[in-house]
Amino acid sequence: MLEIDGLVKAYGSNQVLKGVSFSVAPGQMFGFCGSNGAGKTTTMRIAMGLARADAGEVRWTGRPVDDAVRRRIGYMPEERGLYPKMKVGEQLTYFARLHGMDAAPAARAAEHWAERLGLGERRNDKVEKLSLGNQQRVQLAAALVSEPDVLILDEPFSGLDPVGVDSLAEALLDQCRRGVPVVFSSHQLDLVERLCDAVGILARGSIVASGTVDELRSGAVGRQLRVVAPDAPDDWAAALPGVRVVSAQRGDTVLELAPGADDQQVLAAALATGRVAHFAWREPTLVELFRDAVTATPAVAA
Amino acid sequence: MSAPAPAHSDVTPNSPARMVRLVAGREISTRIRDKGFLVGSAVLVLLILGMLVFQVAINSGTDTTRVAVVGGDAAVSEALRAQGDALGTEVEVVDYDDEGAARTAVQDGEVEGALLSPSGVQPELLVESGGGQVETLVQGAVQGLALDRQLSDAGVQLEAPPEVEVVALDPDADADLEAAIVALVGVVVLYSLLLLFGQFVAQGVVEEKSSRVVELLLATMKPWQLLSGKIIGLGLLGLAQMLVIAVIGVAGALAFDVVELPGRLIGTVLTVVAWFVLGYAFYAAIFAAAASLVSRQEDLGSVLTPATLLPVVGLVIALQAAQDPTSTLARVTSFVPGLSPMVMAVRQAAGEAALWEVAVAVLIMLVSIAVIVRVGGRIYAGALLRTGGKVKLRDALRAES
Repeated sequence: MLEIDGLVKAYGSNQVLKGVSFSVAPGQMFGFCGSNGAGKTTTMRIAMGLARADAGEVRWTGRPVDDAVRRRIGYMPEERGLYPKMKVGEQLTYFARLHGMDAAPAARAAEHWAERLGLGERRNDKVEKLSLGNQQRVQLAAALVSEPDVLILDEPFSGLDPVGVDSLAEALLDQCRRGVPVVFSSHQLDLVERLCDAVGILARGSIVASGTVDELRSGAVGRQLRVVAPDAPDDWAAALPGVRVVSAQRGDTVLELAPGADDQQVLAAALATGRVAHFAWREPTLVELFRDAVTATPAVAA
Repeated sequence: MSAPAPAHSDVTPNSPARMVRLVAGREISTRIRDKGFLVGSAVLVLLILGMLVFQVAINSGTDTTRVAVVGGDAAVSEALRAQGDALGTEVEVVDYDDEGAARTAVQDGEVEGALLSPSGVQPELLVESGGGQVETLVQGAVQGLALDRQLSDAGVQLEAPPEVEVVALDPDADADLEAAIVALVGVVVLYSLLLLFGQFVAQGVVEEKSSRVVELLLATMKPWQLLSGKIIGLGLLGLAQMLVIAVIGVAGALAFDVVELPGRLIGTVLTVVAWFVLGYAFYAAIFAAAASLVSRQEDLGSVLTPATLLPVVGLVIALQAAQDPTSTLARVTSFVPGLSPMVMAVRQAAGEAALWEVAVAVLIMLVSIAVIVRVGGRIYAGALLRTGGKVKLRDALRAES
């Protein structure tokens, strides 16, 4: 279990992180969302030891993350960085060795990952000669080449074309299947929704919502229920406890249920009016959840 | 829920020493395949060889004076040679049978002068124009011969004159000068290599910063490991280059017979190499710290210039010290860290530095290296992850991580 526990960080008077906590289980894909400047990169850099937290700590398998553990973390920084004049294969071998591999296995791993990410023919090219998309692949390969125990990736999908996104997503899912916890930050919420088992939304320096996408939905403020009962009068649900009518139009009603309100009671009331053609929770998209979470008061942490 | 981590039979944690070795190895293998580096090294070696050839060319101009003699005998040739020895020139005597042939030889420049009837009453010297050295030579020889003849005619039996015993007050003076010249050549090489490899270190630091790869590196190692790996790797390469030049220089000097005392030469060269190691450690740390303050190669000049001035000053003083190794300036600056590698090396070679002076200079240098590595390492660590503009020295020192 990778635990981020109460990270606090200020740069001068700018309070960047005000107690960021979340945890990622092995094999879990954790999507880290937040507006620009919310503190995602700072959180990841603290986890990688590139910045020091004023308070809080990062733990892996219950122990604070130290240099030895960090070498078992695959990292992709927001600012991409590779030696421009070094060949792809040599570069990957070098990073594998920095992470503790011996020369021969490191060379094998470099070959494997270059092949795997479609860079097989570019192994002997200098990185600066590659297209940006291919450089991005090398960057990912550099994070994966040492077969890390944990992956922390800052905006890994930015700048990739749809095919690149798919192959990167596939590679990350593979890592999850190996039992590696994967944390990545992204602005592409549809992607996060599609890939991630768990999501954390960071706003103004703290996590305002976290959990699985389903949990976020159920915990969302004002869960909405759409009921279509063609024969019902407009005010059929008005008297139900914990229920607020958002809109009602010719039997098509949208209700907002307070936490703890009984949806079965609503169904019974609807059936009492006659035929029920539609009865379902409206699934808010992650975009809606994100918007709600980011604009709501910070008190609404899950 | 802490599931066991996937098995990694291939992975063992790197020790700090291994990390430094890996970084150093990368520096060497990258640099050694760099065309600019190879060309630069070749030029340096050629320069040294060129200097040797130049030396040989100058020395080979040892003058022999060819003198034509008409009607001379063994005694005349002997007297001319003896006189030549006294004047510091080698005399080659060419016998001619008649005056005409000798005259042609003088006109053609084959001989510098032609001596006619040396034993006669009126010896005559034919020269092309003004007499110069040949005149002095021949005059002396003819006088000697005449004196001998008159004395023996008068029945004076000459005893062998006493051999003068030569007592040199400073027998090493010549050797000292020679060693100082060798040291000077060595110091010029040392200076060039210091700046060259210091520059390499600085460029490497900025390259990692501008390409942002430094963030990836620092996720696996400490700043000091990266810094020392870089300095050690390039330093070994610099030392290797210094040794190659030293070996070529010494071998060339011995082969061309440029120097008088090979033992002294080798000692001086080793001294210079040792000072190179200290000087490099000093300047590489300064250059690395300075370079870490900027993020672009274009800005490198502005931070390196102040650091480059010191070795320039050192070189100028060293040139001065080669001529006057006992001057106060040379004496004082040979203890100043950063200057001592150049100035003390010259003073040592000139034989003007006492052992304790060398020891003190080395000690001061070692202490300042320790301080600079510490402070420079802090600046480096503080500035490394700050990209964008130029980092202020104060901010870099204050940064904790």
